[in-house]
Amino acid sequence: MRGGDRGRVLGLHLAVVGLLAGLQLLLPPFHHGMLARIMILAAYAVGYNVLLGYTGLMSLGHAMFFAAGMYGTGLTIHHLGFGIGAGFLAGAVAGLAAAGLVGLMTLRTTGPAFLIVTMMLAQAFYLATLYWNDFTGGDQGFILAGLQGELAGVRFALADPAVKYNVALGVFAACLLASLWITRSPLGRVLVAVRENEERTRLLGYNTHRYRLIAVLLSGLVAGVAGAAYTLLFSYVGSTFAGILYSIYPLLWTLLGGAGTVLGPLVGTLVMTYVVDITSGFTTGYLLVVGVALVVMILWAPAGIVGGIRARWAPWLP
Amino acid sequence: MAPVTPLLETRGISKRFGGLEAVGGVDFRLDRGEVRALIGPNGAGKTTLVGLISGRLRPTAGEVFFAGRNITRLPAWERAVLGIVYTFQVTSVYRRLSVHDNVVLAAQRPRLRAAVDWIALDAEAVAADARTALARVGLADLRDQRAGALAYGHQRVLEVAMALALGPELLILDEPTQGLAGDEIESLCRLIRDIAGTTTVLLIEHNMAVVLELAGRVTVMDRGRIIAEGTPREIEAHPEVQRAYLGR
Repeated sequence: MRGGDRGRVLGLHLAVVGLLAGLQLLLPPFHHGMLARIMILAAYAVGYNVLLGYTGLMSLGHAMFFAAGMYGTGLTIHHLGFGIGAGFLAGAVAGLAAAGLVGLMTLRTTGPAFLIVTMMLAQAFYLATLYWNDFTGGDQGFILAGLQGELAGVRFALADPAVKYNVALGVFAACLLASLWITRSPLGRVLVAVRENEERTRLLGYNTHRYRLIAVLLSGLVAGVAGAAYTLLFSYVGSTFAGILYSIYPLLWTLLGGAGTVLGPLVGTLVMTYVVDITSGFTTGYLLVVGVALVVMILWAPAGIVGGIRARWAPWLP
Repeated sequence: MAPVTPLLETRGISKRFGGLEAVGGVDFRLDRGEVRALIGPNGAGKTTLVGLISGRLRPTAGEVFFAGRNITRLPAWERAVLGIVYTFQVTSVYRRLSVHDNVVLAAQRPRLRAAVDWIALDAEAVAADARTALARVGLADLRDQRAGALAYGHQRVLEVAMALALGPELLILDEPTQGLAGDEIESLCRLIRDIAGTTTVLLIEHNMAVVLELAGRVTVMDRGRIIAEGTPREIEAHPEVQRAYLGR
């Protein structure tokens, strides 16, 4: 990597964050709210991409990490009276803990075995949220009304659109820049090496099981953070978010935007969320669109949007 | 003279694959600073033996010692950290990464000792180590190429550059000249002789001209056992070797 590229890459990613910050002044209320939601979901996809894009592990159980973040935050606030800061932290820790559990249980699996084990564990988690519905609210979920924060003596409502947008932006920017930093660090280099050729990487002196576990932990932590932020900003917790659909979404967003590209998850989430939103206005079969998009991406455009741009015009894109 | 601890020693090492004994009770010693060739017909157990040494394979019985330490239970990655470095028989570079990034992966490893190194790694020093290794094998001009796009001979020396960047104590080369042209073999021999000045080399090789040129001693395997050991001249004259290997 040349010095000029390094400046260009950092500049591009900061410009994207700046653009998102500027858009809140221009967007009409509907799209303003939509983009806040997209940024949280894109943060979730950024975490997913650490695992799929950079480590080469395809999970179908990420909803478990996202929902662990949600329940970690929602339940501690609802039942234990945590404040929003402590609740957010509890969500992040819950996401990390769930990832630790899954990571240890899948340590020796890759490929289809990893996919199936993560899916089964996430389904077990989903069913658990339904089974203990006295506590979790099951598929009805529960609402956290009137969440308030305080910064430098000023109280604010998290439901306020401007607060919501900027908190979402902050969470997304932190996840995006962390992901950029990881991919360009010695650790990111090893994760890519594990993806490309695990046997070779082991004989270069790297404990590849450990690196896969680290990747699952990082990915789960980011998903947990996104889930925690979603709970705080949208004041709702429900088992829908633990279901298989929320494991398929980040896979789809990441593939659409470009697995193994730092900006891919944002682009994929943005495009797909709008596509689903527009088509659901015409038909109740919008899930068909999701399914078809997934099949088309895997068959004909495995590099995704940003991956395609990188291949054709911008080989320096990370 | 007091006995010197060998750099590498196997005691009664065996490996069975189902009903086949690929390596049977081999006692093998390698002293520091040697260039040793390991020869034998196809299926003699050479690659299996170095697999047991590098940790790619687990032995069915026996033990492996490195610099006096029993490493039988150490996984391959830990042996690589200790300095046992294996270069693949079939080239196994990261095809989609650049030549430079391939070597950086190796060059950063010796500098990642503690957790803090992951954050505060001296990237310039790693890049400099990678450049040194690439210059040593003559690939400096190709550093920005994709490794998978390199000619076969260049991929082989890229393997060697990655091995060098790890700073090996013992370098195991598994048929390095296989598939190379005459002048490529010559320059690889020059490179190996240069490496041998600082590193112990164990070389699996079919090309007898290369063996005679490089090796100080030769070990001959047949059907999972060592059948002879000696200087290249002694081995050439050994009747059992001629029968088993040279086919005379």
